[in-house]
Amino acid sequence: MKKRIMASLLAAACVLSVASCGGNNAATTTTTAAPAANNDTAAATTTEAAPAANNDATTEAPATEAPATDAAPAADEGDTFNIYAWNEEFKGFFEKYQPGYDAATQTLDGVKVVWTINPSADLVYQTKLDEALMANADAAPADKVDLFLAEADYILKYTDSDFTMDISQLGLSQVDTEYQYTVDAASDSNGKIKGVSFQCCPSGLIYRRSIAKAVLGTDDPDEVQAQLDSWEKYDAVAAKAKEQGYYMHAAYAETYRVFSNNATGPWVSGGTLSIPSVVEDWTNQAKTYYDNGYILDTLPGIWDDGKNAEMFNTGKTMCFFGPAWYFNFCMGNAQDPDNGCYGDWAVIKGPQAHFWGGTWMLAATGTDNPTLVAKVMKAFTEDESVCEQLIKNEGQFTNNKNVNQKFAEDPNYGNAFLGGQNDVAVFAGMTDSIVWQNATIYDQACNEGYQDCIKGYIDGSIDKDTALQNFYSKIREQYPSVTTP
Amino acid sequence: MSSTTNSAPAKRRSISYAKWGYFFIAPFVLVFIVCTFIPLVSTFYNSLFENYKEGLTVVGPNFVGFDNFVKLFTPRADGRLEILNYTVNTMTMWIMGAIPQIVFALLLAVIFTSERLKIKGQGFFKTVIYMPNLIMASAFAMLFFQIFSDVGPINQIITANGDKAFLFFNNEWSAKSIIAFINFLMWFGNTTILLMAGIMGIDQSLFEAASIDGANSSQVFFKITLPLLMPILIYVVITALIGGLQMFDVPQIITNGTGNPDQTTKTLVMALNGQINGNTRNFGMAGALSVILFIITGILSFIVFRSTEPKKEGKKK
Amino acid sequence: MANASVNKRNGQMEYFDKTKTTSLLVSRIVSYIFLVFVTVLSLFSFYLLIINASRSNAQLQAGFSLLPREHFIDNLVTAWNDTSIFFLPQGILNSFIVSAITCILTAYFSAMTAYGICVYDFKGNKAIHKFIILVMMIPTQVSALGFIQLVNQFNLTNTYWPLVIPAIAAPATYFYMKQYIDSTLPLEIVEAARVDGSNEFRTFNFICLPILKPALAVQMIFAFVGSWNNFFTPALIISKKELMTLPIMLSIVRSRIGSQAGDMGEVYMIILLAIVPVVIVYLFLSKFIIGGVTLGSVKG
Repeated sequence: MKKRIMASLLAAACVLSVASCGGNNAATTTTTAAPAANNDTAAATTTEAAPAANNDATTEAPATEAPATDAAPAADEGDTFNIYAWNEEFKGFFEKYQPGYDAATQTLDGVKVVWTINPSADLVYQTKLDEALMANADAAPADKVDLFLAEADYILKYTDSDFTMDISQLGLSQVDTEYQYTVDAASDSNGKIKGVSFQCCPSGLIYRRSIAKAVLGTDDPDEVQAQLDSWEKYDAVAAKAKEQGYYMHAAYAETYRVFSNNATGPWVSGGTLSIPSVVEDWTNQAKTYYDNGYILDTLPGIWDDGKNAEMFNTGKTMCFFGPAWYFNFCMGNAQDPDNGCYGDWAVIKGPQAHFWGGTWMLAATGTDNPTLVAKVMKAFTEDESVCEQLIKNEGQFTNNKNVNQKFAEDPNYGNAFLGGQNDVAVFAGMTDSIVWQNATIYDQACNEGYQDCIKGYIDGSIDKDTALQNFYSKIREQYPSVTTP
Repeated sequence: MSSTTNSAPAKRRSISYAKWGYFFIAPFVLVFIVCTFIPLVSTFYNSLFENYKEGLTVVGPNFVGFDNFVKLFTPRADGRLEILNYTVNTMTMWIMGAIPQIVFALLLAVIFTSERLKIKGQGFFKTVIYMPNLIMASAFAMLFFQIFSDVGPINQIITANGDKAFLFFNNEWSAKSIIAFINFLMWFGNTTILLMAGIMGIDQSLFEAASIDGANSSQVFFKITLPLLMPILIYVVITALIGGLQMFDVPQIITNGTGNPDQTTKTLVMALNGQINGNTRNFGMAGALSVILFIITGILSFIVFRSTEPKKEGKKK
Repeated sequence: MANASVNKRNGQMEYFDKTKTTSLLVSRIVSYIFLVFVTVLSLFSFYLLIINASRSNAQLQAGFSLLPREHFIDNLVTAWNDTSIFFLPQGILNSFIVSAITCILTAYFSAMTAYGICVYDFKGNKAIHKFIILVMMIPTQVSALGFIQLVNQFNLTNTYWPLVIPAIAAPATYFYMKQYIDSTLPLEIVEAARVDGSNEFRTFNFICLPILKPALAVQMIFAFVGSWNNFFTPALIISKKELMTLPIMLSIVRSRIGSQAGDMGEVYMIILLAIVPVVIVYLFLSKFIIGGVTLGSVKG
């Protein structure tokens, strides 16, 4: 799965570089591609996927790249463009679609692009990023952070600080093709916009068609939605699924974001921690579902093997929750050529609209490449050809209303993984209900810590108070200034 | 070359070479002072300050006296004193691993050194038993996590019979046992090598004398081998104890840093790591935890020393 | 009568020998069974690693198996070409450089210090010995915090100095070497060398060090392995990719598990590749372990 993506990615990169730089150095790119595509299935898929990508690239590239090559590299720009990220996802998009990027020399408008990618696990990414940002003013030009990525759970930590730049200083402003919540999320407490997102992440209910047929008698998205459009109905279907030997969802925290990202109150207010009522609701649901056997009794986390195994064709789970990025990022097992169930899926709004995750681009204060930062930010939000390719080739739901709308209305567009369903239309229908509110800098610690600590209560091994105390102590450990109950 | 000028006259020595002693120990002492002693003092000094990071803001350093210690020794709302828990967890898991580790090592050392048994293929066995120590602790943690995971082979066997999967990492004692077992597996070879060296150092004539007197092998072991092995055994126990107090990688990786279930596998160094790493950079609290770890190590080592009371230092040269 | 008594005695002797040989046979069999059990226990993890390194990510997630699969080369290629960890062979080289220097410094300077304490009767001799024993009990992590601050102050982050220099002061190794010198190094040799006009440092290097070879080998193995597998300190000091040691690289690849980019097959392959060099070093030095190192109260 990973190889297939890699292979098509590299193949596309190859052809792109051939198209844009007349084939010089194409040979070196090909050699890197070759080892990755060493397995037959991957190679076969590549040949299918690549032409689609190539055609677009070759036809559309000249239009976007012509002005880029005209624009001489700004004289005041530094000669290294440093980007910090926690995985290779955006790097892949950037290298394929960023106008003006030369894959052969790894330069953008003649400026060397350097990626610093650290894993988000154990907060390694943020730790290293923080160190770099705090030293950015005094750093050597080649080491200055220019652009970095941040996720919804901790973006406020960066936007609400002096380490990020107001995008108006870069010559950018909010454009009306952007979704409002993505702008709100990137704004500091004074309303200054500090960054842009290349994704909009409305999150839906992703169900297994064959199981829906067995349980609900239909796999048609509209009919399934009608039977699952509230939590009461969801509960009823869960009971029905259980009778037939299926699980409603797999992980105990599968629905956590549906609740938490519709929070009516913040995790921490006035320096005091309190558990939002929606999180209480989720806890009750998770406990009931575990007790009733509606979910896996092994209680895997949402990223664990035990849950992911449910996406193989042998899986017994009907529902998963996730946004567009979920298909490629988390459902590798479902796309596995041998044991997967490609095409046996569909997405609907489900009981409650919500968002999950999302990646924002922020400009680091002290950047010596402000023009390039602005250029990248613009490309991934306003450049329609870039956005179109993000949907077509990468299965993304972009932060450009016009482009999304175009695909939502295109009768010929369909996602093969979802049995040809137009997922863009489904996600586009949910965007109005997404709100960004009650965010705090403590959200990541609280969301992750709570899911972790409450597990003992859900499986009945400890009482709720002990579980909460464990959670409070975890928060105190990370944020000594927060008062806990 | 004489780095330390010292004119201390050599007493009782036939030749006055004493000042060479300073030359020989100088690199060790210098490096120790720079790399351990100064950091140690500054760590302890840190423990008296409030100094951490919140978001991107650095709070402190503000002198707070013993506030960090007070916080560490304040029980939480439900009465649990976490620092005590972490200490007990660490010690429990250490003992659970160290006892089989030393027993296995003693048995192996006796088997290998026995004149009577004359084990064939000793070279192979001796080579093999140390090999687990070559694998990284994190790799062991991953392997055992795989074996005992909810969908792992053990649970495949359990669920094949229609039984409910047993969640090894959701149960305090199974989780602790797995961690202890990994530590045992990693270190018994190392201990065997040390004990073997110790047994081979025992004067063979003592064994011969004992067998002439008609002592059986267990008598020989308890009356001769074990007492004479004591100095090495103390060394083994103390180094194992220090290793045990530093227990970190295995529980950290197996529980993904959570110390689940219910904090029962969280060790002192995991708590310390939670303060140094990540977002917090809580130098004050980390310093305080280090001081406590230092004191605990001191007390336990003292107990080991005392309870096994080494014989006199032999003759000093 | 007399004959009978002799016969009886002979019978008794035979019986005695028989029980003796039987009990020896039993203990031998029990010993072998125990050794085989321990061998299986020791090698099982290696077997699992090889099996896992031959399986693809999907196969690893699909369930456990004791049989190897066909993805060994694929995983090797993936690990080899993984640019997120710079370049795996560079990591192996980095680990090797750090571990080799560490083990040489640890063994040499510990022996030197122990020699200094054992051979010379200088003022403060005993106090320093006791002090080092006390130092031995300080866990690395206790001074880690101050150590990092010191490293930052001297601008030594992203260099190998903070990883290898502390190896000079290894109290546990010192303690072991002291025990060994006490029991195996006759002071007469040192005095004979003096009579021959050998300089003290020369005596240590060329006359005494060779005698300590078995103990040095054991401690070099321990130090090499310890440094090779050390994650705690390097992770705090090294952040430049081209300087990363294997455990840091492993942690990066491992941290991707659970996401699309995660590849357990690659992780196991890296673990396996990380073990190969250390096994080679071990097998090279292990003859000293097999030969046995005498240590204890016996006097030469």
